[in-house]
Parts: sequence; structure tokens; C-alpha cells
Amino acid sequence: MRALVPMAKGLVYGLVGYVLGGPLLAAVVRAAGGGFPFDLELATGSFAGTVGWLAGVGVWEAWARGWFGLPVRPWPHDDGVARYFRFTTDHKVIGMQYLVTFLGLFFLGGALALLMRWELMHPGMQLLTLNGYNQVMSLHGIIMIAVAVAIFLGGLGNYCVPLMIGAPDMAFPRVNALSYWLTPPVAVMLLASLLVGGWDSGWTVYPPLSAVNPPGQVLMIVAVVIFGLSSILGGINFLVTIARLRAPGMTWGRLPVFVWSVFAASLLSFVFTQYLAASLLMVLLDRVAGMSYFHFARGGTPVVYQQLFWFYSHPAVYIMILPAFGAALEVLTHFARTPLYAYRWVVGGFFGIVGLSGIVWAHHNFTSGMPGWMHAPMLVTTEAISVPTGLVFLSALGTLVRGRLWLRTPMLFALGWVWNFLGGGVTGIFNADVATDLHLHDTYFVVGHFHYTIMGGEIFALFAALYYWYPKITGRLYDERLGRVHFWWTFLAFNATFFPMFWAGLHGMNRRIADYPAALGGVNLWTSVAAFVLAAGFLVFLYNFVASWVRGPRAEANPWQASTLEWQTSSPPPVENFPALPVVVGAPYVYGMPAARHAVVAAAGGSEG
Amino acid sequence: MHAAAMRGGVLALWWAVLTAVLLALVLRFEGFPPAAAREAGVADHAFRLLMLMASPVFALVVAVLVYSVVSCRSQGDPPEPPPYLPEHPAVPRVWFAATAALAAYVIYNPGLVGLAEMREVPLRALLASSPASRVRLASLADPDADLVVRVRASRWLWQFDYPQQGLTTRELVLPVGRRVRFEVTSVDIVHSFWVPAFRTKIDAVPNLTTVLHVTPTRTGSFQDTVALRVQCAELCGVGHGIMAAPGRVLDPEGFEAWVAAEQARR
Repeated sequence: MRALVPMAKGLVYGLVGYVLGGPLLAAVVRAAGGGFPFDLELATGSFAGTVGWLAGVGVWEAWARGWFGLPVRPWPHDDGVARYFRFTTDHKVIGMQYLVTFLGLFFLGGALALLMRWELMHPGMQLLTLNGYNQVMSLHGIIMIAVAVAIFLGGLGNYCVPLMIGAPDMAFPRVNALSYWLTPPVAVMLLASLLVGGWDSGWTVYPPLSAVNPPGQVLMIVAVVIFGLSSILGGINFLVTIARLRAPGMTWGRLPVFVWSVFAASLLSFVFTQYLAASLLMVLLDRVAGMSYFHFARGGTPVVYQQLFWFYSHPAVYIMILPAFGAALEVLTHFARTPLYAYRWVVGGFFGIVGLSGIVWAHHNFTSGMPGWMHAPMLVTTEAISVPTGLVFLSALGTLVRGRLWLRTPMLFALGWVWNFLGGGVTGIFNADVATDLHLHDTYFVVGHFHYTIMGGEIFALFAALYYWYPKITGRLYDERLGRVHFWWTFLAFNATFFPMFWAGLHGMNRRIADYPAALGGVNLWTSVAAFVLAAGFLVFLYNFVASWVRGPRAEANPWQASTLEWQTSSPPPVENFPALPVVVGAPYVYGMPAARHAVVAAAGGSEG
Repeated sequence: MHAAAMRGGVLALWWAVLTAVLLALVLRFEGFPPAAAREAGVADHAFRLLMLMASPVFALVVAVLVYSVVSCRSQGDPPEPPPYLPEHPAVPRVWFAATAALAAYVIYNPGLVGLAEMREVPLRALLASSPASRVRLASLADPDADLVVRVRASRWLWQFDYPQQGLTTRELVLPVGRRVRFEVTSVDIVHSFWVPAFRTKIDAVPNLTTVLHVTPTRTGSFQDTVALRVQCAELCGVGHGIMAAPGRVLDPEGFEAWVAAEQARR
């Protein structure tokens, strides 16, 4: 119970902040004869509430007391469950906080998807109203986007990167904690938006719809802006950590590929997230301050929003997928028992993606009425991005054919990732090609495409990584048999759910609709049934991870006999990560090279590699 | 070395067989919805071309995936690592060059070629367009349309004005074989004018007129071809899913008769 005190304090301060900054401020201004729209009240209230929450949950204690010369209480250090519920600086604890929070949100988003699939099972309306469907669809969209952005970088990035580079922690541990503790208000605001009418403009928030819809939109915008701040802070932290805290001998050429992918993704979130905040704040100003950036009745130009929005949101898909590339390649090389093939080429490929991702945004806007000259250059840059992405496949395939495969659960998910991302990548060309995209844009073809890339690509790589690092994180072994059941169940049901969407889209099923022509009934019934089967498979995963954590066999330091640094310390690692600073002496993957070593780690718990 | 050549040969065989199977499937693919416009022909041709070019790529990845699972899996917990062989530096270079060449070709055809065909302009003219050339404004004044239809989107209705005929309808009726210029706008928020049987769409944006050219090539109606409907394709709130209007393509005489009947009714 005592463990929950900091969060309870944060909640109380947050509510006080909301009331002071929102309703009370509004009442004072109104009493003084001023105008204070409800939208503005929600916006100021939720920003103030977030500040209150942060102060209560630990920012005041960790930062402000010492700065203002107040007596500083000793920083609590304990190994119990309590540390997961408070503002703390251990990157492993923060990684776990991210992982558990965003896995929870992943399942919530999945439940919302099931509501949608129930509604779409037959033509006509089954369960929801038209407006209710739009709200559920919008919430599903933004929750899954947030999960896709944060779960890899915030969860596994936080947990593993310092370990993999031989660092004791992240470069800015308190900023790291701040990044995480900014996210609970985001989740609360997204859900609370339903209390004030929700919002119906999807995760893309295109104005003028988003300038005139219910006040739930305001909470969503504030939530996403705050989430963006968390994302930028996390990005800076990873960049500095990887640049400055590598162990002696860990040259750039010896970094594990997952670390490289986190570096590349962090660069993107550092550079591009501000454009999302800018575009959403402009919508907010249209709503609360009578501005006319996009509002139709005031002569606004909505097309400009779409350019600004995608200027972030296309790079954002690479923020999601790059760490997944890194993690899948990491698993492939360890479980093929051979060094990662074409290591330097694939790192080059990551940065090719980073560079190109900034100049492809308008392929989302081929049908938007933007100037006609923009189609050709955006088609060229978008299709060119298949070349650096092809290097990721070169590395994966080269590693597979040169290796001896150890088909454990992480490897199965990594192999599933190759298949799924292949499907996502190939169908991406159809969306990049103007002649085909004019038809396919905003149809289920696109829905199928981005679920193949993000769920089939990123989430499959996430499961590969979760099974791979599970013994390290929990100190326990998961049940291999259940892991295989989970893989085959998810792999088959995933493809059964999302492959028919390409057909539905081609045949005229547009996105974000609660009802459709009766001719599309068959494919939707199939998709809905498959979606429920897919969802049920996650119960196997949940049971396996929870039960194994409680009573699974103890894991040794290095159950996979893997070469990288995180396996050369105990499972789970001690607070300080390594008993002494490791010294890196060679390449990260040294399989099949009897004399070679990656690192020398002083004794205590770890075997050497 | 001999063993490696054998493995390479087996892999190449898998790749070739799988590619052949996929190409055969793609060439026989008949899964397109009904097509009722010149633009649909361009889009479906591009779609098939992309599937053809994707076939060897898809086959290569799947061949390696299946081959490695079947023949590179090993007993042992974990398997003994294979002895390390240095990488041949030419392989990534060849891969990079081959994928770049393939990407360049896809960009050219169906990419730029398809875009030019969609717009009915020579490729040279397409490549010469630039921010300064005002392509969008030029196309507004494009004289070679046989019929102008002004499309007005609002929450959640389509309205079609035929300025040359002095008509306003809630059903899109077009003559076959005539080039139609749609001048699309919205009175409130962003919608998107899409006819699946035409395989093209353009957003309806407030304070802006967007232009789309379509030449219907087949008669038919929404009643027998569900793809022949105007469907809103940009999320526009509550009524988005049901914001549709029936479409009909008539032979020229039928269209004249329809115009006359509509004019008489007013």
C-alpha cells in the first residue's frame, strides 16, 4: 500500500492543478467579464494538471527541493516492488515501467479493435452508433500509435541499451524518469476525453473536422503534445547515452545492431516530433483562440496541416520500425549462431532510412489537392527508401543462410518478422506509386499495409525481443512450449486477419467506416472472426509471462550463450549493472571465432563472452 | 567450397520455382473489381506490373527463409556455431546495385510512366513541371473536357452540378467515352470524391477547387456494380461511412435523354 503513496500524491496534485488551471481560472476570468471557452478551460486545466501530477509524483522531490535549498530527504533505494511505482532513476526500472504500461495500453487498444471488428462483422449496425464507432476507432488509433512509438524505445531501449554498451545508467537519469512519468497523464487524458464527447477525427486529427468536433479533441491534442515532449526527451537521452557512455573499447564499429537502431530512431524523434506538436497546437489555437490556420469558415487552408502533420508522422513510422529492425537482427544473429551479416551495410541502411524519411511525407497527400508537381518527386523519394530497407533484408537473409538455426521462440518471432515485414514492404510500393495509390489511398489496402509493417513487423520483433530478454529482465525462464504455441497461433491468425484487408481495400472498402456495402460482407466476416482468434492467442502469452515470472525456473546469467554485454552480468542485473566497468575488446558477434571475444567483464555472476 | 556451391544451387532452384509459380499466379490474376474508366485501366495495369516485379523479390526472401529453416536448422542447445567464413565484399555491393536498379525501374515504370498516363500528359511534360509551372492552375483551365461536373461535398451529402446543362442532382450520371472534368470542392470540412470503379479520387477541400479528369469506358449503374458509387474517402465525422451517392454511366443517347428528362422536370 505504501508503494502507491507517490502516485496517489501525484493524482491529488494533478487534480488540484487541473482545478486551479482550468475551471477556477475560467470562473475568475468569466466573473471579471472575460470570455473563456470550455475548450480553453480543458486545455489550460490539463496542462496545469500535468504539472501538478509531475510535482506530486516526484519531480519536486528529485529536482526542486535541492535547487531551492530545502532540506533534501534521502533518496529511497530499495529492491522491492515499490520502486516500480515511484519516480526513480534506474534505467531498468524505467524500462519496466514503460514495458508494463504500454503492454497494458496495447491490450486496451486491442480490445478497442475487437469492438470495431464486432461492429464490422456484418453490414449494417451491430453494436455501436456511427459516432461511437468513430470514437472507438480514433482511440484505437492513437493508443496503438503511442504504444508503437514508446514500447520499443522506452521499454526495451531503456532496459537494454545501457547494459549493451556497458554503461551504469542513461546519461540523464532524472530526465529519463521524467520521460516516463509524463506518459500516465497522456493515457488518462486520452481516456478522459470520452467524458467530454470524445473525438472522431482519428489519430490524424485532420482539420477542419478537428477544429469543429467535440471538446474531447482538446484533451487528445494536449495528450499528444505532452507525449511528444516525452518522446523528444527520450530521444536526446539515448543520443547522449550512446555517444558518451560507451564502455572503454566499445567503438562505434563494435556497437550491437540494436543500439545502432535505437540511435537512428532517437535521431528521428529528436528532430521531427516538434512538427507534430506545432501542427496540433495550431489546431488548438484555431479552436480556443479564434485563429484561422485551418478553420473553413475563416478562410483557413486545411491542406497545409496535412503537410505539416506528415512531415512528422512519416518519420514517426521509422521511429517505430527502426528499433524493431535492430531487435529482430539481434535475435537472428544470436539464434543463427553466426555474426550478423553485412553489419556495416545495415547500419548504413539505417541512416539511409533516417535521411530519406524526412523527404517522403507527401506520399500521404497524393489525393489531397496539393500542387501537381509534388507527386513525381515524392513518388521517387518514397520508392527509393526501399533500397536502404533492402539492406536490412540482405543482413537478415545473409545471416540465416550462413548460420545454424536454433529455433527457439525468439527466433520463431524473428523469422515471422521477416515474412510479415516483407508483406508490409512490398505492399508499401503500391501505396507509393501514384497510379495505384489514387485508388488505394484511404482504403483497407492501406490498413492492411500498415498493420503488416507495424503489427507484423514491429510487434513481432517486439515479441522476439521480449522472449529473448525475458530471462535477463525477470531472472526466470519462460515456458518454451507455450512460447511456440503463442508464435504459431499469432503468426497464422495475424496473416488470416490482415491479408484479406488488401482484397477488401482493392474492392472498395474505405477506411474508418462503421458500415459498408453488403457485397463486402464475406471478407469482413472472415476478418472479424480471425481478429478474435488472434486476440485470444495473446492470453497464452500473458499466462506464460506471468506464470513463469512467479514460478518459472531460475535463469542463469547467459541462458542463450550470447556474446553481447547484457548477458555478461547476472539475471536480473544489479542496480549498477556491472560489478566493474567492462572492457570491450572485439566485435559484438563472435560466433564461430574460437579466439575472439567481445568483452572482458570482471567476475561476479557473469560468464565471459 | 563444393558444398557451398551445392547449397547455392539448391537455393537458386527454390527461388526460380517459386518465382515461376508467383508469376503464373499474377498473370492469371483476375481479382480486380469492375473497371469503368480509362483511369481504372491505367491503375490496374500498374497494379499488375508491380505484382509482377514484386514476385521475384518476394520469392527470393521466402526461398531463403524456407531453405534456411529446412536445411540450416541444427540440433543442440544451442547448436555449435558454424566456423566463421569471411564475408565476400562483392555480395553487398551487388545486392545494393541490384535493388537500386530495381527501385529505379519501378520509379520509372509504373511510377512516372503511370503518373503521366493518369494525367494524360507526355512523360517529358510531367518531368518539366515544377513549383513555378502552376500545373494545378493550368489544369483548371484545361479545355479538352467534354463535360464539366461540379462536385459539392458537405456533411454528409454529395451534390453534382452540371453547369453546361443547368442541372443539379444527387446522382452522378455520366456519358460513356467522354472526358469529364470534375471540379470538386467542399462547403464545410475535408471530404474525398472517390469512385472505386474509376480507381481514382481527389479530396474535396473547403476554400479550394480540386480537379480530376475521368473518361468512363463502360456503361453500368450502382444497382448492378457496387463499385460504381461516389464514396467519401476522407474521415468527415458521424456520417462518413454512409456518405455515398449512386453512380451511373450511360451511352451518349441515353445521357442526352436523361439530360432532357431532368431539364423537363425542373
